[in-house]
This record gives sequence, structure tokens and C-alpha cells, in this order.
Amino acid sequence: MRTLRLLTVGGVIAYRALFNWTSPGMFVGTLLVGPLFQLLFFAYLGRELQVGDDRFFIVGNAVLASSLACVFGGTMAIGNERRFGTLGHVLLSPRSRTAVFLGRALPYAGNGLLIAAFTLTGGALLLGLRIPPGALPGMALALTVGSLSCGFFGLALGALGLRFRDIWVISNVSVALMLLLTGVNVPPSALPGWLAAIGQGLPITHAAAAARLLAGGADLTEALRPLGIEVLVGAAWAVLAALLLKVFEVESRRHASLDTL
Amino acid sequence: MGDAIEAARLRRTYRSRTGFIRRRTTEIEAVRGVDLTVARGELFGLLGPNGAGKTTTIKLLNTLLIPTSGTARICGFDVERETREVRRRIGYVFGGDRGLYDRLSGLDNLRYFAELYGVPPRDQKRRIAELLDLVKLAGRERERVEGYSRGMRQRLHIARGLLHSPEVLFLDEPSIGVDPVAARELRRTVADLAATGTTVLLTTHYMAEADELCDRIAVIADGRIQALGTPAELRTHADGRRVVEIEAYGVPDDTVAGLQRLSGVREAAVEARGALQILTVQSDAGVDVQGEVLHALGGVRLGRVSTREPTLEDAYVAIVSGS
Repeated sequence: MRTLRLLTVGGVIAYRALFNWTSPGMFVGTLLVGPLFQLLFFAYLGRELQVGDDRFFIVGNAVLASSLACVFGGTMAIGNERRFGTLGHVLLSPRSRTAVFLGRALPYAGNGLLIAAFTLTGGALLLGLRIPPGALPGMALALTVGSLSCGFFGLALGALGLRFRDIWVISNVSVALMLLLTGVNVPPSALPGWLAAIGQGLPITHAAAAARLLAGGADLTEALRPLGIEVLVGAAWAVLAALLLKVFEVESRRHASLDTL
Repeated sequence: MGDAIEAARLRRTYRSRTGFIRRRTTEIEAVRGVDLTVARGELFGLLGPNGAGKTTTIKLLNTLLIPTSGTARICGFDVERETREVRRRIGYVFGGDRGLYDRLSGLDNLRYFAELYGVPPRDQKRRIAELLDLVKLAGRERERVEGYSRGMRQRLHIARGLLHSPEVLFLDEPSIGVDPVAARELRRTVADLAATGTTVLLTTHYMAEADELCDRIAVIADGRIQALGTPAELRTHADGRRVVEIEAYGVPDDTVAGLQRLSGVREAAVEARGALQILTVQSDAGVDVQGEVLHALGGVRLGRVSTREPTLEDAYVAIVSGS
């Protein structure tokens, strides 16, 4: 019960403490308007180049929209501890590191879900995409799974912040890679095999595929396979994040690699 | 019941690498075999100049660093292997502006660390209210920390360190940058804590603070304990000396070095207080160096000149200079 409280209450307070974009202006501008324009950009580009139809770009970019909050949020969830000088006090906690830090991914995943839902709604309304009402519960599930998976991916990147000071470079590159490799804007079949293979291990890839199936009128059972793979990918990133946090904390004690105090 | 803090032959070496093609490894021995024990309920001072190894010693004791060799135990638990047990029993407070979540209110900072430090949910509200009263932040707890003064931040640091009622409290220069009134309040709080049985390990640069508060003091320099005892015992390191204190403006460094070479002079040090400098010259008790010192300061604008008995600060200077 107390671990659940640390995951939820602790996660929400940490989100408010560490996320840079909580002010209304930053939130709306960076997390809502930005992804919507990205969606419109790729949708119009797709129309012009005839790479894919509107559904391909609207649904894909809507699922991807959660990545901004999740990747940068995960980085801030740990990287900003350095900025505030609070990392030492957090590491002095006797509580489970897994609960302390994995709990931090949850608000970012929730944030990502909200952004994805907004982007999907906005994109569909602006470009006239009709999604069957029966597909909405399945779509909500796909967006949720994608956001959670992306939240854990962001946390794994954030864990690198315990070891490397310039973690923002990695976050920036990761967001750009997700744009390219998750199949949201470039079909995996158009990518070289090794790049497509990397994309299979990234979050969003399989959630976007599932969402596209559902938006196209497919039954939920048809989307279960990509959704299941997305869950596995997310779980793998969560395990990696927990391992990295553990390893880097031990290393910091041994090599004094953190400016903890 | 054993001691609260036990350290035996504690050593810590830092390795740093420089260069990209020609990698060079530099080793710095920050702590070179520290032995100390602090009894339960004792208020123990750790004094030393910058870079002496105080903060590294605290980091070794509070589990943030692993000793290169030697052992340390807190309330009987090994700091290297039994970290969770140690962390349950310690609180840590350090001076300065950082270390708090600026965007959160003082209350939310305490709520978050109450979760992290394992304060049972049913006790959190009461405990936080008690601590806000203790550090005199009640009524200001819902304001964002970014608007707090340095003194308020320092008091919030203390409240955070006490959330889980630790048996051992590490206070690392808690009064640094705090105004005199707030510093006095802080000393009273620390004294009250020790009176209620909390073991306190205090590092400070303020000798008066250490003299007033500490049951025992260790002076650390160059990574080693140079002297250890009660304040009265430490003062004996300056026995047999007399001190000339001179107010001055613009004393050149080479003049201070020259004073140290005068016959009978044991130490000469300058402390800046704004534009004013306080020049302290320690000499053998039987030698009157005042005339020679004033002669050496010819051309320097001087204020009051006085002679006095040695204080703990003079003893500290004598110990550190002799290390």
C-alpha cells in the first residue's frame, strides 16, 4: 500500500517539482500546439508526395505526440535533480529506487496520453478523418499503452542522466529518431533493414500500428498482437531503466561520479 | 547500546581522468585514515579548512560514498553494506541555497521527502506541522520555495532532515550565509535536538558556534584528524601563547608572510570583514611582539590594536597550521 502511495503521490509531486513545461503557456505551446502542427505538416506532405493517406499520418503522429512529454519528461525527472541539487537527498531515501523512479514515469505517461488524445481529436477534426465510434475504446487502449511504453523509455534515457551530464543531447536525438524509425511518418518497408529493426525496439511503433488498424475498422482482436508487443517493449524499457538506475547509483558511490551534494 | 557513529581507518581516494588521447589519471586522497566515535546523544563538531575532508567524511558516513578502505558504522550498521538500515536512521542537512524543489511550496517539499524517507502516511500531517512550527515556517508553508529567503530555505532544510526523526543528524555547515539572528535560532534548534537525544555531527567554519554547541570537536586537516577533544581541551593547543589583534585596511600578503618570520611569532592570519581586515598574530606568551608587528605594518592604515588570551579559534589556527 505504501509502495503504491510512493508510486502515485510521490510521482505526482515529483512531476510538479521537476517538469519544466507545467505553466499553461509552455504546456499549450510546447505540448499541444507543437505536435498538432507536426501532424498537419506530415499529413500535407504525405498528400503532396502521395506516401500515405491522411489516416496513416493523423493516427501515427497522434500516437507519437506523447513522445515529447514522455521522453523530455523522463529526462527532466532525473536530470533536473542535478539542477536543483536534490539528487543527494533523493538517493539518501531508504525506499525502493524502483518505486521512487518508476513512479515518476506515470504522470508523464498520463500527460502523453492527454496530448495524444488532443492531437488525434484536433487532427481528425481539421483534416476530416472519420474514426468509427466502435474503434474509440481500442484506440484509447492503444494510446495508453503507447504513452506508458514511451514513459518508461523516457525514464531509461533519464537514468543516463545519473552518469552523463549532457543528457539533453540524447533526448533530442531520441525524439528525432522516433520521428524517423517508429513507422509513424516513414513506413518501415521504406527503411533499410537495420533501421527498421531499431524501430521495432522503440516505443510507439507497435501502438501506432495497432491504432491504425483500429482506426481502419479492424476488430480489437486484430490489434491485440501489436498491442502485446508494445506492452513487452514498454516493460523492457522499464526493466532497463530500473537496472540503469541501480548500476549508476552503485557506480556513483564507488567512483563519486555524481555531484550529489 | 553502542556508539552512534564509529569510523575506523576510514580512507577515500578520488580518481579523476584528464585528456582525450593521452589519458592521465590523478589520485587525490581526500580522507586518509579517519578514526572517530560519536556517542549516542552527543553533539560532535568536525572542523577544518576548505578541502580538509569534512564533506567527504560526511558522505562516507551517510552512505553517498563507499570508503576506499576502512569501515564505518551508524548505530551499529555498516555504511557500505547495510545502506537501507543506515539511511533509515540518519538525517542530512547542508547549508546553501540549493537542495530544494524551487517550484514547489515548502509544504510540498516536506510532503515529498516524507514519502521518500518513509514517514508513515498517518503521521505525515502531524509531523510536518510540528516541524514547520519548530523551524518557524508555519504560515509560510504554502508559498513557493523560490520566493524564500536564504534563512527560510535553511530552516526548511533542517525540517526536511528531521522528517523521519533520525537518530543521527549530519549538519554540514548549516549556518553558512545565514544572518546572525537566524544563526542564533539555528544554534538553539540544534542544541534542543541534542538535548532530546539526537546525535548530531556538525561541520562549521564558525568557531563560536562549535564552542557553544559541541560536546567534543575533531579538527580535520589534510584528510586526517589533527586533534580531538572537548572545546576546553582543544583550547590548550594555544596555551602558552598571547594574541595581538589589529584592525587594518589593505595589508599586503607579503607583509603577513613577513610577520610570520618575526622572532617569537607562531602564527599570523588575516580575516576580511568587508573593507576591514582583522590581523591576528599569535606569539609565545613570554615575548612581546606588538612593537615589531606595528613596525612591520608601517604604511598600512590601522585601527584598534588589542592583546587578548587565546580562543578556540586561535587553537584551531594553531592546530591546522601545524598539520
